[in-house]
Amino acid sequence: MWGFGVVRIVTDSPADIPPVLAKELGIVVIPLYVRFGSEVYRDGVDLTPDEFYRKLVTNRSLPVTSTPAPGEIAQVYDTLAEETEEIVSIHVSSKLSATYEVALQAREQMKKKCRVELVDSMSGAMGEGLVVIAAAKEARKGTGLEQVANLAREAALKSHVYMCFDTLEFLRRGGRIGRAQALLGSVLKVNPIIGVKDGETHPYGRERSRARAIDRVFDFVKSLPSIGELAVEHASTPDEAEALADRLGGIFPRERIYMSRVAPAVGVHVGPHVIAVSALEGQ
Amino acid sequence: MYTGRELREMFTAATSWLEKSVPDINALNVFPVPDGDCGTNMLLTLRSTVEEAYRAPDSDASEVAQAMARGALMGARGNSGVILSQIFRGLAEELGGKGSFGGREFAAGLTQGAAVAYKALSHPVEGTILTVARDAAVAATTASAQTESLCHIVDAAVSAAKESVANTPSLLPVLRQAGVVDAGGQGLCVVLEGVLQYLRGEVEQMQYRQPQVMSSGLPNVSRIVQLSAEREEPYGYCTEFVVEGRRKLDRDKISSRLADKGQCLIVVGDEKMVHIHIHTFDPGKVLQYGCSLGILHEIKIQNMDDQYRGFAEMVESQSPPASVATVAVVSGDGLTQVFQSLGVSAVVQGGQTMNPSTRELLEAVESVAQDKVILLPNNKNIVPTARQLQGLTRKKVRVIPTETVPQGVAALLAFNYDADLKENVSIMKQASSAVKTIEVTRAVRSAVIGKVKIGHKQAIGFVDGKLASVGEAPEEVLLRVLQGLEMKQSELITIYYGKGAHRSEAEKVVGLIKRDYPNVEVELIYGGQPHYHYIASVE
Repeated sequence: MWGFGVVRIVTDSPADIPPVLAKELGIVVIPLYVRFGSEVYRDGVDLTPDEFYRKLVTNRSLPVTSTPAPGEIAQVYDTLAEETEEIVSIHVSSKLSATYEVALQAREQMKKKCRVELVDSMSGAMGEGLVVIAAAKEARKGTGLEQVANLAREAALKSHVYMCFDTLEFLRRGGRIGRAQALLGSVLKVNPIIGVKDGETHPYGRERSRARAIDRVFDFVKSLPSIGELAVEHASTPDEAEALADRLGGIFPRERIYMSRVAPAVGVHVGPHVIAVSALEGQ
Repeated sequence: MYTGRELREMFTAATSWLEKSVPDINALNVFPVPDGDCGTNMLLTLRSTVEEAYRAPDSDASEVAQAMARGALMGARGNSGVILSQIFRGLAEELGGKGSFGGREFAAGLTQGAAVAYKALSHPVEGTILTVARDAAVAATTASAQTESLCHIVDAAVSAAKESVANTPSLLPVLRQAGVVDAGGQGLCVVLEGVLQYLRGEVEQMQYRQPQVMSSGLPNVSRIVQLSAEREEPYGYCTEFVVEGRRKLDRDKISSRLADKGQCLIVVGDEKMVHIHIHTFDPGKVLQYGCSLGILHEIKIQNMDDQYRGFAEMVESQSPPASVATVAVVSGDGLTQVFQSLGVSAVVQGGQTMNPSTRELLEAVESVAQDKVILLPNNKNIVPTARQLQGLTRKKVRVIPTETVPQGVAALLAFNYDADLKENVSIMKQASSAVKTIEVTRAVRSAVIGKVKIGHKQAIGFVDGKLASVGEAPEEVLLRVLQGLEMKQSELITIYYGKGAHRSEAEKVVGLIKRDYPNVEVELIYGGQPHYHYIASVE
């Protein structure tokens, strides 16, 4: 389906690329590991989001995530090297996960001859996903390795993700709260809005109710100078995501909004009730 | 059962695990002195511990444990390092004479270690690595009653240590104020976690994971403010060395001799060798005394004031990115906490009938680290005073004319970390005007307002400053005012009950409102404000 001369795109499961879309665009997704006690799952492979969020609510012990070993990623590159000689591998922010570092090591361990360009998306969830999709679309046009990688790097600077939280408990206990620590510990019940900025967890604000937090995210998106791509995703509230997408349909073609699901590897850190909008600036 | 080799490997794994989180742990370091070297010190202690372990015959657990205790004592650095060294001493005491060990012995070793660590300090402080060591030991002991598996026992210790670390700010006010957990406790937690990963056979995978730094769930106030405030007293020199005694060493005697030479004194070790750690203004005297006891090794003296300056710079680079500070006028301990938990940079006590002076407001404005300040007066009578400040300081001061507490809360919630002064003023103004305020108090004298007659001490209710209801009990008035409001557009009522009100009475009102308006969420919060029995917001 993809000719040998076509640049192929590799990413990781925290990019939240919907499986159907990954297949359509020929994106290879490397699963991170999610571990509940001694049970280990490959994100999205052995563990679907539905199963994961059910477990997250019922299990007593908090899950943790880990990256694949360099050998595993090297194997993904080597396998793909049978179909292409150029790969762009785009990963979740190196400030939030070691995946990018591991991919760097993996590139050294490859056996097959194939050029691999690595890109730090400096984001996560569909904030990363939109960068991956943009790169995949460009690659399909037959664009060369450097150009695709540069396009991804530029997209990474224009990608935004805004996530509405019910609780920061997961982010806190998972050790990824970063600068959003400022939003912890409110005496009043609040719904924080947190995203990733410059690769790090970033506090965007908070509201007194979920509905208003979603309103504020809508306003954030509306105030962007331009919108090239838009995505809505949720952890376990599909109807809410549909309603939000319909609303965003007022400022961006509804049929072009990607609908996705927060992957378990991200869910470990954000909890079972988030809803997020990601936007890529551009035409 | 485990051998000496495995004991050594466990802590070798723990060392590489700790190494990864050294920068994070350094950044947490605020107690006893914010010098930002806690993680480094613990790592150096652990390295010395493991190096010594490699010198012992590795088949014998007892020999390795003794070697580790010796290495820890010699190489211990800083408060947390010295306390960590006591855990190895505890293990060594417990494993003495044993060729191999299991879960029970390990749990007993942790318990013994925590006990000797407490004893080594003249004034043990809770909410530090000591507390975490004890909590972990207790959990390990409890688990060891049910299982012999070392892996399960350490697992229990790690879980308990994590909870304990998260809880440190509620035990130690200086941590709470800085919005961090205890650095040494976090370090110990990471060490135990490293041991656990070894036991699970996950040493390989460890290189692809990152230790998690716990953060506290408690309200915190701005760290920048805390750290940049001028300190009046210097910290002096952190002085550490090991004494190899000419004669038998008496730890208690050494402790009492050094007690008045400085702060944070820790003396650990045995009759042959002791490790001394003290923060002093005169390291010379302490060393001189050390020389009178025997030969000194591993001498280390550091100027903590230099360290502090470096640390303050590092913390600033990691704090929330706000370039604009907020200062609020609030009265009542509960309301103060509400504002602090929402990240206000400084609070000035004041409100109805107790307006703060211009000087008090000015001091608060000058105390914050930022040059741009937004003021929330939260009272009609304080707005004019607040407006005068712009002429009195070099800082840029803007006033959001909030006339009530709920308006102030709404404004603060709308604060945008990414926005500049001008934009924040605009969004905060807008947010504060979108909230409706209800205030219930008792009349201080009889009066006639409009056509309504108010008797002395009658309860009166206001909506956005306008008289709305008069009655006998404040609860009755609150309920009547709320029932009289148009609720179609509202989704949330927040009631702050004051000093003169009781939670149980307020809860009854909440029950009745929920019955009348099932779609409206009601939150009841302790405000502790004087004068007003209730302040409520409808939004």
